[in-house]
Amino acid sequence: RTAIGWLCSPEQRKWLEYGWAQCYCLRTYYLQISTGTVPALHCEGHTVTEPAQILNFLRKQRYNADYELSAKQGADTLAYIALLEEKLRPALLHTFWVDTENYTNLTRPWFASRCPFPLNFFIPGRQARVALSLILLTKGESPLHSITEVEAKVYNEAKECLNLLSHRLGTSPYFFGKMPGSLDAFVFGYIAPLLKASLPSGPLKQHLNQLTNLCQFCDAVLKTYFDDDAPGSPPVSQDASVDANLQKLTQLVNKESNLIEKMDDNLRSSPQHKPRAPPARPTTLSSQKNSTPA
Amino acid sequence: MSLAAEAFVSQIAASEPWPENATLYQPLRDNQILLSDCASSLAVQAYLRMCDLPLRVCCRANAEHMSPSGKVPFIHVGNQVVSELGPIIQFTKAKGHSLSDVLDDVQRAEMKAYMELMNNMLLTAELYIQWCDETTAAEITRPRYSSPYPWPLKHILAYQKQWEVRRKMSAVGWAEKTLEQVYEDVAQCCQALSQRLGTQMYFFNRQPTELDALVFGHLFTILTTQLTSNELSDKVKTYSNLLTFVHRIEQTYFEGLNQAGQSGAGPWAPPEV
Repeated sequence: RTAIGWLCSPEQRKWLEYGWAQCYCLRTYYLQISTGTVPALHCEGHTVTEPAQILNFLRKQRYNADYELSAKQGADTLAYIALLEEKLRPALLHTFWVDTENYTNLTRPWFASRCPFPLNFFIPGRQARVALSLILLTKGESPLHSITEVEAKVYNEAKECLNLLSHRLGTSPYFFGKMPGSLDAFVFGYIAPLLKASLPSGPLKQHLNQLTNLCQFCDAVLKTYFDDDAPGSPPVSQDASVDANLQKLTQLVNKESNLIEKMDDNLRSSPQHKPRAPPARPTTLSSQKNSTPA
Repeated sequence: MSLAAEAFVSQIAASEPWPENATLYQPLRDNQILLSDCASSLAVQAYLRMCDLPLRVCCRANAEHMSPSGKVPFIHVGNQVVSELGPIIQFTKAKGHSLSDVLDDVQRAEMKAYMELMNNMLLTAELYIQWCDETTAAEITRPRYSSPYPWPLKHILAYQKQWEVRRKMSAVGWAEKTLEQVYEDVAQCCQALSQRLGTQMYFFNRQPTELDALVFGHLFTILTTQLTSNELSDKVKTYSNLLTFVHRIEQTYFEGLNQAGQSGAGPWAPPEV
């Protein structure tokens, strides 16, 4: 790099530097996409992943939705979250990532459309493999030797879990009275994608549709907290002292992302693609989803 | 069990009463059984005693391999073999014995949620400490697990089991956790249990349920097992109402039954109340 720079004129050297810096940015970006996890919270220089860790971090910053809960209700929250993770999460992973019809028609195109080339070929497949291995390792113990038996067991437990949640919710607006807490957020995060995604094959979704209080709960949370639908744009640095080099670099990167957007639009309007769920809403929902990283 | 097999077993189970010679199989108590297996076995024994059902305990070196699901304990009742607490509860329910019939729907939901909390946090933490913490695995777990077998089979079986458990830990996301984080999770779980129990005698009403049996099994085993460090039992000892609860169940249903500590060397230490 230094040798090539030495051979160039100062003007050419500047463009070389921009090129290297851009490559480095893209490399970091690709690395983050392919190895990072979501949801991830970036705040004041810290990066926190995993829903439970994010909630702890927010509590330390004194944002706590469970402040009004009694000790027993706090304990109940923990217990119900464990129930969701044990019983409902495998079924959700199966519905979105292992069920062939759903995966081919909904999940894979959806995620691939949001990943930059060439990662859109690898990431959905990797997530599907991770989901399948989790289901088989935690639920597929002998004598359940065939995948269909494991599926039956997984869906049975998930339906039972949904019934238990429905019983617990009863007729109140939220799980602990009139104000929502972290349990409401977790439950919403699990059931909202199931309810709102246009799944081609969804036995669990049909079961959920019969539990009207859970559907009403989901709609109420969506209406109250997700109504002002602003698609998130990455925060642009407002640093006044940004120098000319960085401005040029930003322009180059923006041009690239515009190109990618154009390609994306072309792909979507192609007649071979089936119509999908609208992208803006699923993006905000997927930031709440506890199970699968994008 | 698969659903069809479950339905079949329930039908057969419903037709016969509980026999006198029902037997529970677990690994060898003094030298072989591990913390997590001992906790599960004790939970099943406590549950069956609470249901007032007679039971014999039989220790076998190959109990794990005899079990239909590969997990201990399992019970042999009449013509059926049922393993793990969940299926055993359903099996006894099919025979007409149940502890949670008096609960309403909301309470039953809570009970199931707390049982999942125990499995999700406490049992996984026990497995982590046994198999993923290298000190404990090398000094206690592997030697104990493979004690009935000759060389070189003992090493093969021990490492195979360790590999299986570690694979499962990475699937559920526990492989990246440190030991301190695991102890934190145990403390959180104990705090939740303590807050739920409060000053009551049992978790629901004045009657014990399967949740009480499960909690007793795990907490008693943690308190009476010597590991490489006392940190795990110290986390439990912080909550006095849990200690009282464990002591009460032990006195009511076990009446001084000798549960030998896992280290094998020290005397059996009852929990301090």
